[in-house]
Amino acid sequence: MSSQNPKRVPEEASDPSLSVTLDGETVDARPGETILELAERHGKDIPTLCHDPRLAPAGACRSCLVEVEGSRRLIPSCATPVADGQVVTTANDRIARHQKVLLALYLADQPDFAARGETPGGAQACELHAMADAVGAPTDWPKMEPLRVGREDRNPYVQFFPEACILCARCTRYCAEIESVSAISLAGRGAETTIATADDVSLLDSSCELCGGCIDVCPTGAMTEKMPVTAGRRGHVEPEKVVRTTCNYCGVGCQMDLHVEPAANDGRGRIERVVSPEAGTTTNDGNLCVKGRFAYDFVDHEDRLTTPLIRAEDGSLREASWDEALARTVEGLMGVHERHGADALAFVSSSRCTMEENYLVQKMARAVFGTNNVHQCAAT
Amino acid sequence: MPDDHRRAAVPDALERAGGLVPGAARAVSAETGVPEAHVWGVGSFFHLLARPDVDARVCTGLSCQLAGADALLDAARGAGVSCEGVSCLAACDRAPAVLRGRRVQPDATAETLGAEVPDWAGTIGPDGADPDRLAIDLAGEPDWSGTAFAKAEAMGADAVIEAIDVSGLQGRGGAGFPAAFKWKSVRGQPDETRYVVLNADEGEPGTFKDREVLLRRPDRVLEGLAIAARAIGARDVYCYLRGEFEIPWKKLADAIDRVGAAGLFPDVTFHMHAGQGAYICGEETALIEALEGKRGMPRLRPPFPTEHGLWGKPTLVHNVETIACVPAVVTRGGPWFKDLGVTGPGTKLYCVSGHVARPGTYEMPLGVSLEELVTAAGGYVGMLKAFSPGGASSGFLPASEKHRPLDFKSLADVGSMLGSAGVVVCNDTVAMPWAVKQQLQFFEVESCGQCAPCRIGTRFLREALDRHVADPRPAALAQVADVSWEMNEGSICGLGQAACLPLTTAMKWFPEEFGQ
Ligand SMILES: Cc1cc2nc3c(=O)[nH]c(=O)nc-3n(C[C@H](O)[C@H](O)[C@H](O)COP(=O)(O)O)c2cc1C
Ligand code: SF4
Ligand code: SF4
Ligand code: SF4
Ligand code: FES
Repeated sequence: MSSQNPKRVPEEASDPSLSVTLDGETVDARPGETILELAERHGKDIPTLCHDPRLAPAGACRSCLVEVEGSRRLIPSCATPVADGQVVTTANDRIARHQKVLLALYLADQPDFAARGETPGGAQACELHAMADAVGAPTDWPKMEPLRVGREDRNPYVQFFPEACILCARCTRYCAEIESVSAISLAGRGAETTIATADDVSLLDSSCELCGGCIDVCPTGAMTEKMPVTAGRRGHVEPEKVVRTTCNYCGVGCQMDLHVEPAANDGRGRIERVVSPEAGTTTNDGNLCVKGRFAYDFVDHEDRLTTPLIRAEDGSLREASWDEALARTVEGLMGVHERHGADALAFVSSSRCTMEENYLVQKMARAVFGTNNVHQCAAT
Repeated sequence: MPDDHRRAAVPDALERAGGLVPGAARAVSAETGVPEAHVWGVGSFFHLLARPDVDARVCTGLSCQLAGADALLDAARGAGVSCEGVSCLAACDRAPAVLRGRRVQPDATAETLGAEVPDWAGTIGPDGADPDRLAIDLAGEPDWSGTAFAKAEAMGADAVIEAIDVSGLQGRGGAGFPAAFKWKSVRGQPDETRYVVLNADEGEPGTFKDREVLLRRPDRVLEGLAIAARAIGARDVYCYLRGEFEIPWKKLADAIDRVGAAGLFPDVTFHMHAGQGAYICGEETALIEALEGKRGMPRLRPPFPTEHGLWGKPTLVHNVETIACVPAVVTRGGPWFKDLGVTGPGTKLYCVSGHVARPGTYEMPLGVSLEELVTAAGGYVGMLKAFSPGGASSGFLPASEKHRPLDFKSLADVGSMLGSAGVVVCNDTVAMPWAVKQQLQFFEVESCGQCAPCRIGTRFLREALDRHVADPRPAALAQVADVSWEMNEGSICGLGQAACLPLTTAMKWFPEEFGQ
């Protein structure tokens, strides 16, 4: 329907040639941008739920509706391009009534646990409820009969609570448009519409790559991380501490934010979840893969080595300092070099090393030891 | 484009696979290259595909309910038939109707549920109408001469569009939009690949006229389509028939073969597409999505189909009845057509069902009143209490409105609409909350589910009505005004925008039945 990537309007559009009246003020608009983008650039706070700047607009959640002169109905700002001479109103009584009633309907359709702020899993769990608070939606409407019920999926990472889902389709569009995987789809019709895989199979039996992007984009916590749920940790937890780091599973260098609970594990701390920094702020643009997002439980696994170990003549291992261990390594390598020549050595580096580290490994092989026997495990 | 066409093949492929049985999505995915979850998304959207093992689907439309559909469903269940309720089958004149496979069985009873269903058609009228004053003339002999098309070719596109303009022909699918405006718009698009789409998804409860046109005058439909295609510069015409139209499908397919063999419309190719059970696909942008092989979810507008329609190309979508008026406009001229009506241009096919003596399709001047229509249909059965003038989406009007012209403007003035002119008559045995509930249930299951005001709002209203019926206190309906307002303001398409009307109009005209 619309262009694949509507958000990527050139930051410095050469000549902002459109003139739009935004809440009574005349502003310059960039050709090709949406009313929402224009409004955001001018500091307007338009609520959105189904909008994601990386995805083609769906216009489905209806939270971003604004008034445009000449249009009888309220129109979705996320999906409507600016036009010269357009007169846009982003806040008035009509829009306020719309937002209140819309959010009241969403709330009436939410399960009790979500209303109590106890949607399992999610730091992302409260976008909907926060918005309802912000627009002053009535909270005393009768609850609707629960219709969509959860089902089992034996995959270890992604948990779906259909009863909390608002069908914004961010997850399905993310899966199709960003991941090019299309493991999940809107399914069914009417009030029974939900998110499903083909034949309702486990994500493990679908084309899903368990990237967890669907979790990341979900505004309700309906699509959420399973590990905290499995561990019995319910409820919306504001992270105590956020640590920005670089994923060390491969050389791409995705940035990630570790949500850390510092007091856990007798003060050693625990990673509660790993999330991507906001889209558009780092090279990975809001994305992570299955390893970066989910493979963090090794960090405090009891089998994890936390100090260097040196093997004695009798085969037993003893703890050592880094200096001692490195000295022992140098001694061993130099010994082989002296006794058997440079080509008796070979170096293999890990794909978990950064590109700089990989560079240094080959430099060491070639320049220090004088051999071309060097390999990187991701090269095959 | 090849990709697009593989996607378009998904619904048919699922039908051939026997519906959405386990493994079908994977097989169709392998066949079409469309991701299996998306195939699943499509199959689960359409009820004929999603639940292929149902033997009998009993119509739950208001007219069929008035004729005892509920009891029939119970009886069928009791007899161990695999059955479920289904939205209006466009056979309200022969209620109660049951869908067996893809064939509609009229006048169904528990005893005849297993019987073979012969081809059938409905009652038409009015008796004694002058064929020279009828644009469609359902009773007339089909005309395979191609005279209107030949005349249109001789006139040229501009003159044809001018004639349509002068005739005042308005869309008969529900919105009453001037036809000429759309023809001009499509013709004026820079993109030279353009399409004509026939909307034969007739699903608005109470409406069955398009069925009757396809059964009796497929000649008019094809000739109208060919004239339209030539006028706007299209070669391909896509006919979208609802999946339940097995009998009309055959009539139209035979007619296409016939005009093809005779070489009547040499530069026009007709394609047929079967719907798979979803009322919303009557909405033109949902229909286009369905033609493209996707879930039938309406698009955001603008852009309108005239500019960005099927496969992104300029597309002229018309209802069956609108198109069937075209040959007469061309042969007899715009002024002749315009002059046929009382308060608006042309004749109109009115469907009348419910509590009347001879339910059927009546071609009458646009703007007759309910009283005149029902007189043509043999009179009321019982005492008139309320009527729904234009399908479920038009809400209800009280008996006191029986002299109001049934036209686009007069009905809009009173907060209703002519819509598809599916008139359902209720006598004084009918409780309004019960009648409203039938309509609300319809919208709840037929909402495409895409946008929240409609998906949640339709259910909210139905639950509120249930609460009121269970315990009639005003509090039960306290949120109705807000929710209805929001559905109208905030929904993407006409379904959600109008779905509150059965309840709000009934509350307005019959407040005492809603504890107001
Ligand atoms: C919910 C909904 C259902 C509709 N169903 C039908 C239908 O079954 N048949 C039809 O011709 N038009 C239907 N329409 C109207 C179409 O969107 C469209 O306006 C029409 O096909 C245009 O043709 P016309 O100009 O000849 O009326 C429906 C509209 C809405 C909003
Ligand atoms: S985890 Fe990634 S690949 Fe799997 S369904 Fe979610 S978005 Fe799609
Ligand atoms: S699971 Fe979340 S992201 Fe997906 S449709 Fe539901 S609310 Fe939206
Ligand atoms: S109004 Fe209803 S039918 Fe129309 S797009 Fe929204 S959910 Fe779908
Ligand atoms: S953010 Fe615009 S409709 Fe959802």
